[in-house]
Amino acid sequence: MNDMRFVERTVGNEEVKIAARGVHVYYGDTHAIKDVNIDIADKMVTAFIGPSGCGKSTFLRCINRMNDTIPIARIEGDIMIDGEDIYDRRVDPVQLRAKVGMVFQKPNPFPKSIYDNVAYGPKIHGLARNKAELDEIVETSLRRAALWDEVKDRLQAPGTGLSGGQQQRLCIARAVATSPEVLLMDEPCSALDPIATDQVENLIHELRERYSVVIVTHSMSQASRVSQRTAYFHLGEMVEYGETGDIFTNPRDQRTENYITGRIG
Amino acid sequence: MTIATADTPRSTPNAGSLMQADAKTAKRNAREKRFRLYGLIAVCTGILMLVLLMISILTAGLSAFRQTTIEISVPLDAERLDPEGNRNPVEMASVTTFGYAPLLRDGLMQTIEAAGIETDLPEGDIADLISDESVAQLRATVLANPELVGQTVPVEVLASGRIDGFFKGRVTYETAELDSNISPEQLRLAEALEEAGLLRTGFNWRFITAPDASSTRPEAAGLGVAILGSFYMMLVVLVLSLPIGVAASIYLEEFAPQNRFTDLIEVNISNLAAVPSIVFGILGLAIFINFAGLPQSAPIVGGLVLTLMTLPTIIIATRAALKAVPPSIRDAALGIGASKMQAVFHHVLPLAMPGILTGTIIGLAQALGETAPLLLIGMVAFVREYPDAPWDGGLFDPATALPVQVYNFTQRSDPAFVERASGAIIVLLIFLLIMNLAAIFLRRKFERRW
Repeated sequence: MNDMRFVERTVGNEEVKIAARGVHVYYGDTHAIKDVNIDIADKMVTAFIGPSGCGKSTFLRCINRMNDTIPIARIEGDIMIDGEDIYDRRVDPVQLRAKVGMVFQKPNPFPKSIYDNVAYGPKIHGLARNKAELDEIVETSLRRAALWDEVKDRLQAPGTGLSGGQQQRLCIARAVATSPEVLLMDEPCSALDPIATDQVENLIHELRERYSVVIVTHSMSQASRVSQRTAYFHLGEMVEYGETGDIFTNPRDQRTENYITGRIG
Repeated sequence: MTIATADTPRSTPNAGSLMQADAKTAKRNAREKRFRLYGLIAVCTGILMLVLLMISILTAGLSAFRQTTIEISVPLDAERLDPEGNRNPVEMASVTTFGYAPLLRDGLMQTIEAAGIETDLPEGDIADLISDESVAQLRATVLANPELVGQTVPVEVLASGRIDGFFKGRVTYETAELDSNISPEQLRLAEALEEAGLLRTGFNWRFITAPDASSTRPEAAGLGVAILGSFYMMLVVLVLSLPIGVAASIYLEEFAPQNRFTDLIEVNISNLAAVPSIVFGILGLAIFINFAGLPQSAPIVGGLVLTLMTLPTIIIATRAALKAVPPSIRDAALGIGASKMQAVFHHVLPLAMPGILTGTIIGLAQALGETAPLLLIGMVAFVREYPDAPWDGGLFDPATALPVQVYNFTQRSDPAFVERASGAIIVLLIFLLIMNLAAIFLRRKFERRW
């Protein structure tokens, strides 16, 4: 892995955005996440890596309470965003998810026009007072997702008619349209070809300036390319967490080393 | 793994030529061929049965849409029909059909004479050529147009059932010999009338619009009340079962917690779909008529009973349609902070719409053809009065329904009702066909192509 270029680690901001303390997740009798403690910094890309079924996606879905939609899932421990416990009784998950956007593994645009896809979030959250403001939000979001130039002439075309990479960027535009503070990405490139992957990765770089980005990925090279910090998950445990460069060049744990050198996973 | 040795040459099973199918492949292919043949036979049998059914219904029923009529010039004697002489329809209504019968009979005799037809039949037998219904027809015409009184007007009256049957091939000279209701002489007279251009066969609008007639007047029997009754019931079923069914399915599928109670409901809904429809009739009789005191034979009760019957179908179809919407759409909506309800109503429901509509229409079609529960709530009654418009309380007026009318027709002894029953089945099938076409159309229209 000598040719791997690591992202510049200008870690100027050490402000903690998301803090997890003693998080356990159970799916029925399955203990999916075992005692995860992690501090995720603001304006930084944090990557979760690990073999399939290690719980990295599960943990990601805890951060915006998407696991609430699974009836058998049970979560213990605290997850704080800006010091507020998101599992507090008073927190409405709907409000939380406007603050913590999510991009899914498979591009899942609504079967509506490109414009409506992006405008839906601002509409339901009342972020625009009139059509002009909504137009502006749609344009900025599409620009942030590096999709504007490709679709500006066909905003009324169906979102599902775009290519896979464009669809995923549309989903990112949709997620940033609600002005979230945290952006969760669950293997956003696993269904994309290398060119589209490259575009999305470049996009993640830019998004980092505004959001705290958490990305789950199977690809270690991707983690090394886009992230500043990396957490390695193994069988529901977070084995190691640190600067991406350290994790890849100098892992402390034997399991991490096995994984990144290709002996497991 | 078997180990190949020198003395077992069969250890290379695929070594033979590809140009020749080996025994195993040939056997496998033969089996597949046989299976396809069985499938083809099954499909062909089904189609054959359908064709036979259609042929039997169409041959028996198409003639119901044609009706033989006789044109008679009736002298409308002012003294008899309007003794007061002021042409007031209210006063003229005091003259009953008994007052009109002799006029019609005279008119018939004069018409035959004027056409130069010789007959030695007694007057009573000649009068049997026309339907008993025609007197009432004549009276209704005169009351609607009082100015006709005093003139001799041409009136198109229904030929009697046997004469009608003669021109449709159901009655022949041979059968007339044995029939006490008709004689070959009467048939000859009818033929003479046809030659004189007074008797003709045309499209039978009355069959679709007229109410039912007594069992001795098959020529006058129509489906008007039954079609209206069925239409009213479908209105009630649609208005009640679509919102209730869709709301119940959305709740059960998207919101209800998964526990024993909802499992129980689910099982029971599936069971309800399999309950014999007559049971719903008993339920309707007990609850809607005996307990709630709603009128018998009314479309509202029929509609309520059919709603109960249709609900499980609609709920099952709707839940299937909701289940078929990919969960990624729900995730996408929830992920950007839509509430559960917004996710369902903005994204899931529109995608499930084609399935819901198809299920609803199929449920309605099922309800349209349902007979058994209606028998129990009195819709099998003989109804000659049209129900009022729905906004005038027409839903509470007595009416019949199409399938019940078919049953009613088949219960009557006159063979002319066989034709009427088959004709009513054709009308019912046309309605079902229209509904199924609507289902296909709506499915196409709402289906997202992206």
